[in-house]
Amino acid sequence: MVPSTYDGVAAVLAVLALLTEFAMLRAPMLRSQVRLYAFQSLVVTGLAAYVAASRHIDELYVLAALSLVLKVVIVPALILRLLRDADTDLAGSSVLGVASAILIALVVAAFGFFAVGSMHVNSSSLPTSSLAIACAIVLVAFVLIILRSDVVSQAIGFFSLENGVSVASLVVASGLPLIVDIAFLFDLLVAVVVFGVIMRVHHARNATLSTSDFDRLRG
Amino acid sequence: MGSEIVSPYGVQAIQVLTILLGAPLVSGVIAHAEGRLQGRRGPRILQPYYDIAKFFSKETLVTNDSSWVFLAGPIVAFACYLTVPLLIPVLTTFPLPLGFSGDILGGGFILALAGFSIALSGAESGAPYAQLGSSRAMTFGALIEPTILFVIFAVALITHTDLPYALSATIRSSTSQMVRPSHVLAVVAFFLVVLVDTGRIPVETHSGTLEFGMIDEARTLEHSGPPLALLKWGSTMKQLILYTILINVFLAPWGLASTGKWSSVLLAVVALLGKAIALGLVFAIIDNSFSKLRLFKITEFIASAFLLAVLSVLVFYVGGG
Repeated sequence: MVPSTYDGVAAVLAVLALLTEFAMLRAPMLRSQVRLYAFQSLVVTGLAAYVAASRHIDELYVLAALSLVLKVVIVPALILRLLRDADTDLAGSSVLGVASAILIALVVAAFGFFAVGSMHVNSSSLPTSSLAIACAIVLVAFVLIILRSDVVSQAIGFFSLENGVSVASLVVASGLPLIVDIAFLFDLLVAVVVFGVIMRVHHARNATLSTSDFDRLRG
Repeated sequence: MGSEIVSPYGVQAIQVLTILLGAPLVSGVIAHAEGRLQGRRGPRILQPYYDIAKFFSKETLVTNDSSWVFLAGPIVAFACYLTVPLLIPVLTTFPLPLGFSGDILGGGFILALAGFSIALSGAESGAPYAQLGSSRAMTFGALIEPTILFVIFAVALITHTDLPYALSATIRSSTSQMVRPSHVLAVVAFFLVVLVDTGRIPVETHSGTLEFGMIDEARTLEHSGPPLALLKWGSTMKQLILYTILINVFLAPWGLASTGKWSSVLLAVVALLGKAIALGLVFAIIDNSFSKLRLFKITEFIASAFLLAVLSVLVFYVGGG
């Protein structure tokens, strides 16, 4: 069964978001990680706009515009500013080498793929494969958070996890009331504030962004 | 003359001749473009032909420690590179009589045999750099192999066969085939495979003379005279063969001859060389925009190619796409 051109393009966009997630796994510089996040948000925005245009769901335009402003411009700019103050370039070393990290993430992503694939969710707006890809994005973001030992990578992992959730919500509920979607976005803003505070406080106290000091539970 | 029909075996011979005679031209244009991109004038476009002619007129020197394997390697490799164009769609949309004597795996095996015989011949020379090159080429060749296999799996899933002609026809059939994610991912994965196999920049400096960074280039350091000419010619042919597979099987299988008329076959020759040169320019730009990876970082590059190929198969199974 050949998917239609619409399904194909939509799935390619979703796959692009997943690949960006993998690229974050191997990005050694904090700045490049933030840029990758901005790119991933742009892809997700593009996907929303594409669904809006092809399925004539006008609220999605609003969502796309909001996520363009928030996730592509404001959040990356905020984190980059925090990074400029922190004066750190390299991400904390990962527990594993890049090749092994990618292989692990691949296994996890495959698990997500088949787990969702066996649920047979049908959607009118996007092909089922996008839901599987969204699940893979979320799982790979978890891998990123687990393997990286610095605050910024973990924050970026969390934000990109939200991107995965956005893709999933486009699949299962593209007609979702706009207010719910916007609430999601503001959740993201709260997370940015929380992570910003963590980054600043942690950096001010320990002069590092690495989380490897956190395992010593002393007062 | 334009409307006379060429016999299918004639077209088959023209396919081999196109690869044989066109390959140095494609390499020459790429080298020239690279020179321009770097602000040099670059070598003449026909320089590879002059080089090959020059090597053919030189004497053959053999190291003391080597046996007949040292001299047989280049010949076997060259024969392999002459065989592969029989199996892949170089000029025609319709399968040629010998096209079914091997599938895409068969072509891969023959290319691997060529790489193996060159590596063996390099190792046989007894010289340290040639042996280092052979060892590295085999190591990275083994690492890239899973990616190639998964690309072939993806192709086989999409077309239900593993014949290159079938995929080429499937791609031509509709745009939805072009944009289906498993195809896009397989194409990108194969693109990275071509980067690795032609010794391009993220993996190897194509025209470098520093032995420590060499992989493929180092294998031929000890050869001279006609065997070296065969190796140089063979490496341009390998490049054009891989470009042809990428273009005519995966990327843009248009401009191929649909009939056996002289005019359309000749047009297909021109179209193939034009497309190969365009693709080569893309590779030249990549060559000039990225830096070479450290040797032990190449595994990361290969891992990302593998990732794309595996995702391609996964997406096919989950979304039918």
